[in-house]
Amino acid sequence: MASRKKILLKVIILGDSGVGKTSLMNQYVNKKFSASYKATIGADFLTKEVLVDDRLVTMQLWDTAGQERFQSLGVAFYRGADCCVLVYDVNNSKSFDTLDSWRDEFLIQASPMDPESFPFVVLGNKVDVEDSKRMISSKRAQAFCQAKGGIPYFETSAKEAVNVEQAFEVIARNALAQEESQDFNPDFPETIPINMNESNEGCSC
Amino acid sequence: MPQPQDAPPSPPSPTASFYDVSDDEEGEYSAIRQSKSNKGVKLLYAKSKVYVHPSASAKDNVAGYIALVEQKPVVGDGERRKSAVTHPPAVAGKSGKSDNNHNLLLSWLPEGSLGDGREKYAKADMAEADSPPHRPDLVPPPPVTTTHGASIGTYPFSVPLSEIYSILFRPPSSGWWHGSIVINTRTGESFPALFFHDNECQSTINQRKRLQRENFDIGSSSGGGMHWGGDEVMKWLKNHATVERSAHEPSLYLVDPTEDDQKAFGLSRRPTSDNVRNMLEGKDKGESSKQKKKEDPVGKALKEARWTVLEKLSQVTTFTRRTAQAVAENKNLPPPVRRLMQSPQVQSMSDEFDSARLYLARWAMSIAEQAEKERSQRIWTARDILEMEESELGSFEVLDAEALSLQDKRKPVTAEEWESFFNASTGRLEKTQLEVKERIFHGGLSKDDDVRKEAWLFLLGVYEWDSSADERKAKIHSLRDEYIRLKGAWWERLADDRGSLEEKEWWKEQRMRIEKDVHRTDRHIPLFAGEDIPHPDPDSPFAEAGTNVHLEQMKDLLLTYNEYNRDLGYVQGMSDLLAPIYAVQQDDAVAFWGFVGFMDRMERNFLRDQSGMRLQLLTLDHLCQLLDPKLYEHLQRLDSTNFFFFFRMLLVWFKREFEWFDILRLWETLWTDYYSANFHLFIAMAILEKHRNVILEHLKGFDEVLKYVNELSGTIDLPSTLARAEALFRRFQRMVEAIDRKDNFPSMPTVRQRLPQPPPSPSNSQTGASASGRERTAADNAAAGAGKEKEKVISPELRMLLSRDIPKLEKKEVREHGGGIGS
Repeated sequence: MASRKKILLKVIILGDSGVGKTSLMNQYVNKKFSASYKATIGADFLTKEVLVDDRLVTMQLWDTAGQERFQSLGVAFYRGADCCVLVYDVNNSKSFDTLDSWRDEFLIQASPMDPESFPFVVLGNKVDVEDSKRMISSKRAQAFCQAKGGIPYFETSAKEAVNVEQAFEVIARNALAQEESQDFNPDFPETIPINMNESNEGCSC
Repeated sequence: MPQPQDAPPSPPSPTASFYDVSDDEEGEYSAIRQSKSNKGVKLLYAKSKVYVHPSASAKDNVAGYIALVEQKPVVGDGERRKSAVTHPPAVAGKSGKSDNNHNLLLSWLPEGSLGDGREKYAKADMAEADSPPHRPDLVPPPPVTTTHGASIGTYPFSVPLSEIYSILFRPPSSGWWHGSIVINTRTGESFPALFFHDNECQSTINQRKRLQRENFDIGSSSGGGMHWGGDEVMKWLKNHATVERSAHEPSLYLVDPTEDDQKAFGLSRRPTSDNVRNMLEGKDKGESSKQKKKEDPVGKALKEARWTVLEKLSQVTTFTRRTAQAVAENKNLPPPVRRLMQSPQVQSMSDEFDSARLYLARWAMSIAEQAEKERSQRIWTARDILEMEESELGSFEVLDAEALSLQDKRKPVTAEEWESFFNASTGRLEKTQLEVKERIFHGGLSKDDDVRKEAWLFLLGVYEWDSSADERKAKIHSLRDEYIRLKGAWWERLADDRGSLEEKEWWKEQRMRIEKDVHRTDRHIPLFAGEDIPHPDPDSPFAEAGTNVHLEQMKDLLLTYNEYNRDLGYVQGMSDLLAPIYAVQQDDAVAFWGFVGFMDRMERNFLRDQSGMRLQLLTLDHLCQLLDPKLYEHLQRLDSTNFFFFFRMLLVWFKREFEWFDILRLWETLWTDYYSANFHLFIAMAILEKHRNVILEHLKGFDEVLKYVNELSGTIDLPSTLARAEALFRRFQRMVEAIDRKDNFPSMPTVRQRLPQPPPSPSNSQTGASASGRERTAADNAAAGAGKEKEKVISPELRMLLSRDIPKLEKKEVREHGGGIGS
């Protein structure tokens, strides 16, 4: 094995059900699109090795179920994330409105050391759909991202592979920066054990 | 060590195995082909109470000894002499051990034929050594044969090891049969089966006790099932010959196989990552001939090398695709493996995996699955399940299906048989509910006729089991009306503008959710495939694509459920649960009530707080802890005991893991609640157990476990999984009984006897006296592990698994935790 430690970047993809999380991930990793992905249940991930500024890193992209009630059990894999991708459907205003709560929920569950600087990327997906159906303008989305501390924003089409590569390049770079900043912080616990009891506390309301 | 000095006419022993160098009586024992009057042969090992069963009647059984004896090298045999020259004792170490196998005889002798030797045999039987004694006793030589005569059982026989081609080892199954071995010679003859009456054989009893003291561990991957006499014989043989297990016939062991034999029987092709690696590197052949000389065919050296190799492989990122290609083209591989490699599944898998370790693990397992599927025509019998129950958890043996007396019971229930359960004029069930459920549990319902349409309505609680045909007709009538009413209610709701803003918003969202999910549910099933009508709603994201009538029906059904159960509403996953019911019924109202029946038990999976899922995952945690502590510890180390990797399987009852028709079969099995209303957790355990060795050996993190389990989708063989789950349930039940008995727990009614029990009175203590034969077996088994059982506790969650009562939620719970809009 190489003497240098292999770098694993953990990326969490969040967003409402049906906005195209699974499709984006598959387009990026497998260069494939299928109209018939089933609704994601539980969680899954794909990995991809990429070069970021001459460094070989493995990206682990976590895909989750969109219906929020399924998030409570999945918090286990939020931990140790290096970047969070928030996806919405530009033709569905509800999915845009919920971005904020997805972001908040992530910060609560993942509890990164420095929430202010934790890297997010916002993707407005399904730009291939005819303009007449579009609900969220680029301007509005950009304003939102600006207000949240300058989150990078991309408009994508998983179906037609528009901007997917570019978006994930930024995701990888930001994740790597985050990962390296963690390395300088000796206080950051390596692993946080998860168990049933712990996750129980959050939600037995 | 003195060499034989006075061996007048004979050449020196062709090999010097580790015991005969110490021998100083060489000249005194005879070459038995020559004479019966000479002093005798060396008795290396013996085991008593080995029977021949010449007829079906037990009274004809003949008790005897099985023994391994060594005769003096044959004189005047040119062949042998030559070999003696080429292999002088000085260079013959272990590697030459097979060369003297013509001097070793595997013998069976009836007790009556032993004469003076009786005591010596008894002594050899009780010798508790792993290697032969330094000074073996001499016994009269048994007659050597390579064929057996017509009259079996009365005459002793012995076969030179060199003449033995293979031996079939069939381990015992308590309560069913004795373990047995069958010797097959190189000339193609089979000797009569020798049955090991282990419970009569003091030496086997002693060995069992010793082994149990040493390691009692149900999860142990080393020991295998219960120790039996055949294991001893295997040990003898392995001390003196190369014994290899056939991959195709797991109970068949080849003795000193030639390379051709090895190929023919697919030796060493048990898919371990070692083998896989050998195949990948195309050096399978060379490796196996080297291995031949070793005691353990899956050699230690290979084990040590594995990690280095894997590490190297993982450095090459293009590893998977390239090697997969090479493997597919490798002509040395058996056809099933090559076929497998060309399947799209493996191809896409190799695209995706960048970790060689995971890739190898998965590949190895998929070969095993493939093998299981290729064997799949067989029908699982109750006997198989008993076999499994007795055998080691990790590596369930698929045994030769012998006489399948129970085979009929496992055929699917056809419409004709189903009708025969009912009175022709009243339409009332004439069998007991339990009998019918047992049939369905084990046989399933036929997919070739319409029996599911009717039978599912019973299983789903739409029809009462004790109803008459007329009552059922009336019921379905009123249910149809009710369905129409419910459907009208949401229809109006969406058309009108009434209700609060919050309500309207909720309905709109739910409708969108259903729309999206239905369009991505089981679209590969012909019924749901394609779009042939325009979408009724131009604003739908699917307006452009169009729709079809069944998708529209599905949407209506789910919206009606959303109306019917507003406390919960539609939640993702429900469309997966509805599709098979709809497809079987193809009648919206009937399908709706069937779905409602299913949802009654599934509601808890969809609560907003996920409490129902947590409970099931926790129960699985306890179950794994009880049934397979070793695996549990490993999962603990991987932070995986939240069992989140089973979330998908439990949420939609394995819908995403099995093929469509398997799901129909699986669900109707689960709906019977035949053993437990939570039998699905045993299905989950069965899947986990199937893969335990891969998980233990290869998976090193929570993410790897999750990925591995997710990727099992589409690869799991259902019949064997069902059989394994049943075996696990029964094992669980026995453990609970045993622990309860030990703790003096007031015995719970077991699943099989749910009779109202009189309150326990002080005089009628339930410990001991009432135990039936079967219970005693369980107690014995438990007693064996008593030391270990000590800290085992049956949690309320586990105890719940013994119940057949469907875990339905109170309306109040759904209202509080459902996360719907409420009524």
